[in-house]
Amino acid sequence: MTVLATSRRPAPGGSPVSRPARSGASSVGRPGFIWALPATIFFALFALVPLAAVAVLSFTSWSGLGDPRFVGFENWETLMADPVMLKSLWLSLLFIVLGVVTQTPLSILLGVWAAGNQRNRAVLSAIYFIPLLLSSAAISVLWRALLDPNFGIPGQLSWLFGDGNLLGTQSGAIGVLIFVGMWQFTPFHTLIYQGAARGIPHVLYQAAEIDGAGRVRQFFAITLPQLRNTAITSIILMVVGGLTTFETVLILTNGGPGTDTTITAFYMYQEAFQSFDFGVGSAIALVLVIVATAISLVVVKVSGYDKMNSSLEGL
Amino acid sequence: MNNRTRMSRSLAGGAVMMLGLTLAGCSGGGGDASSRPENELHLAVYGDAGNTVEQAMVDKFNKTSDVKIVLDTIPGADYQKKLQTIIDTDSAPDIFFNWGGGSIANFVDAGLLLPLDEFIEEDPQLKDAFLPSVFETAVIDDKAYGVPMRGTQPVMLFNNSEVLKQAGIDAPPATWDELLEDVKKLKAAGVTPIALGGGDKWPTQMWFQYVFDRVAGEDLFQAALDGDTDVWDSEESREALGKLRELIDAGAFGTNFDSVKFTDGGSPALLASGRAGFELMGSWEYATQQDSDPAFAEEVLGYSEFPAIEGGEGDPHNLAGNTNNFYSIHKETRYPEEAAEFLKLMYSDEFVQEQVAIGNLPTTTNTEKFLDKAADPEYAKYQFDLVQKAPHFQLSWDQAYPPEATVTIHTAVSQFFSGQIDEDGFIKAMQGL
Repeated sequence: MTVLATSRRPAPGGSPVSRPARSGASSVGRPGFIWALPATIFFALFALVPLAAVAVLSFTSWSGLGDPRFVGFENWETLMADPVMLKSLWLSLLFIVLGVVTQTPLSILLGVWAAGNQRNRAVLSAIYFIPLLLSSAAISVLWRALLDPNFGIPGQLSWLFGDGNLLGTQSGAIGVLIFVGMWQFTPFHTLIYQGAARGIPHVLYQAAEIDGAGRVRQFFAITLPQLRNTAITSIILMVVGGLTTFETVLILTNGGPGTDTTITAFYMYQEAFQSFDFGVGSAIALVLVIVATAISLVVVKVSGYDKMNSSLEGL
Repeated sequence: MNNRTRMSRSLAGGAVMMLGLTLAGCSGGGGDASSRPENELHLAVYGDAGNTVEQAMVDKFNKTSDVKIVLDTIPGADYQKKLQTIIDTDSAPDIFFNWGGGSIANFVDAGLLLPLDEFIEEDPQLKDAFLPSVFETAVIDDKAYGVPMRGTQPVMLFNNSEVLKQAGIDAPPATWDELLEDVKKLKAAGVTPIALGGGDKWPTQMWFQYVFDRVAGEDLFQAALDGDTDVWDSEESREALGKLRELIDAGAFGTNFDSVKFTDGGSPALLASGRAGFELMGSWEYATQQDSDPAFAEEVLGYSEFPAIEGGEGDPHNLAGNTNNFYSIHKETRYPEEAAEFLKLMYSDEFVQEQVAIGNLPTTTNTEKFLDKAADPEYAKYQFDLVQKAPHFQLSWDQAYPPEATVTIHTAVSQFFSGQIDEDGFIKAMQGL
C-alpha cells in the first residue's frame, strides 16, 4: 500500500512520471480463471460433492449400519405421501414470509435512524447490536427460560398471556419463534441498512430540501428507493435464514406442539439423526435445496436484481 | 449473482455432515478381528460424572491383564449418534455402554453383537448376580447381550408432602380412584395437581407406560414390540387411554404443561415451590431437587409407587423406567475372553461400593449390603426394595423400541395429552411403528 501510495504521488517538479503507477496495476493482471480457483475448489468440495452424495443417498435405505441399500424411488414416494412433509414446507414458507414481514420494516427504520448523527446514537446502536453476538443456542435457551409459563414473563403478565401456554399452541409457538428470530436477526439487517443509508449521496437530500420536501417525504422518495438493492440482499439472506432455521426450533419447541412447528430443516434432522433414516433425510435435504434455489431465482428475477441496475444513475 | 452462489453453498454445506457419514459407513463394512489393535480392548461409555467408576474398574482390570482396556468417553448428548455411526466400522468399540432393549436391537439384527450365553454357562454369576427384572432388559430373542453396569432409575410418583397436607391428603394415592380424588382436592386448594414437563415429551410418555401396564399388564406392550400392532386397538388399550383422558379432563396437569419442561428445571420447580402436588418422574428427581434445595429433598419431597388400577391385569408392583445401563460386546472383538473377564467386575463388591458412593443404585444381589453407605440410605433402600420386588420392570417405551420409533412415540403421546388427537389417532400412530 505505502509503495503504491508514494509511487502515485506526482514527482517533484511536476514532471509526468506515469510508468510506476501503471506497473502497479499491470503486475496484478486482469482477473482470470486462477483467481476463481480457490473459491471453485471450496465450492466443489464442500457444496457440490456433498450435494451429489446426498442425491445418491436419497435413493437408498441406510441407518448407518452396514452399507446403503438402493431402494429406487421408495423414499420419494414416502415423502410424497407424508402429510408432515407437506406441512413442513408450508410452515417453512410461513416462517420466511413472517420473518421478512416483521424484520424488514423494523431493520429499515432502525438502520436509517442509526445512519444519522443524533446524540447517543452510537451507544444505543451498540446495545441493539448485542443479540447478534450471541449464539442461536444461547438465545434459544435464554428465551426458553424467560417464557416459562409459571416462572417467566408470562407468569408475571397473566392478564396478557392467560395461562402462559405459549409453546403449547400452534399460533403461540410460531409467534414465539418469529419473535425470537426477529430479536436475533434484526440487528444484523439493521447493520446492512445502516451502511447502505450512509452511502446515499447527500446532494439528493439537499436537492429535496430546496424543493421543499419534509423528512417523511424524503424518506419515502429518496431513502427507500435508494435502499432497493440492499433490501433485496437483506431479504434473500432472510429467506435463506428462514429455510435453514434449526437451533431455535430444536431448543424452543422441538417441532411441537405435535408437529406444528416442524419446519423442513428440522424434519430433515429428525429423520436423519433421530430416526436414523438417512435415505429419507437426504431426500428432504434435496427438497430443501430445490425449494431454496427456486425461491432465490424468483426473488432475483422479480426484483430485477440480476440486471444490476444502479440506483445512482445520472449522479 | 454472488448471493445465489452463497445461498446454495450454505444449503449444501449442511450436507457435508451426511457425506462424512457416507464415507465412514462405506469404508468400514464390518472388518474382522485381525484388523483390530493388538493387546487392546476399546471400551466406549456415555461421558458424564459417572465415568470415575468406569475408569476405576478399567484400572483394576489393567493391573492384572496383558490385554489393556482403553476407556473412550463419548460426550453424553451425542452418544447414540456416534455409536450408530461407528459400530459397523473398524473403529467400533469392543465393549460399549447402552440402554439394552431397543438401543441394541438393530445391532443384534445386524449380527454385530456377541451373545453372552457361553460365558454365563462358564460363570453363572454373570447372570445370577443381577436382579432378574433388570437383566431381562438386555435379553433379546432369548439370548443375553448385556450386563448391567451402572444404576437403576425406576419412575416413581413424587410429591410435595406439605402441599398434600394443606389440601387434606394424608397419604400418597394407592389406587387410581384415590389419585382422582387427590386431584380434586389439590385443584380446590388452588394448585396444579400434577406437574408435567410436557415440552420434553418423554415425561408425558411415563404416564402411558404405567397406565398401560396397570390396566393391561406387561404382555400388551411386549406383544406390540414383537410386531402384533393389533393390540393397540384392543379393549385394554382403549380402557387405558380412557383412564388417561379421564385424568387429563379432570385438570390434573393444568393447561400449560406443553410449555413446561423438566430439563430446564420448570416442572421440578413447580413441585418444590409448592405450586404442584405431584410429579411422575425417574429416580433422578431426588438428585435434581437436592441440587437446588437439599432441605426440600430431605424433608418435604415424598415418593411412592404408581397407584394400582382396580380391575387391571398388571401387577401393582410392576415398575417402569430405565432398568439400568449395560455393557455389550462387539462380535468382531479380538479378545472375547478378556472382555467377558472384564464384565465379571460388574458384580464385584468394589464396583457396587464405588457406584453407591457416587449416588447410583446398582442392581446386583449384593447391593443391599452396601446401601447404608448411600448418600440417603432410606431413599436408596426404598428404591432397591421396589426393584427387587417388581415382578416386571418395563423399560421406557422410547428405549424399548429402536431409536427410529422415538419421534413417532413422543409426538403421539404429546398430541394425545394436548387433545390434538383422540384414542383413534393415538392407536393409528402406534400401529404405524
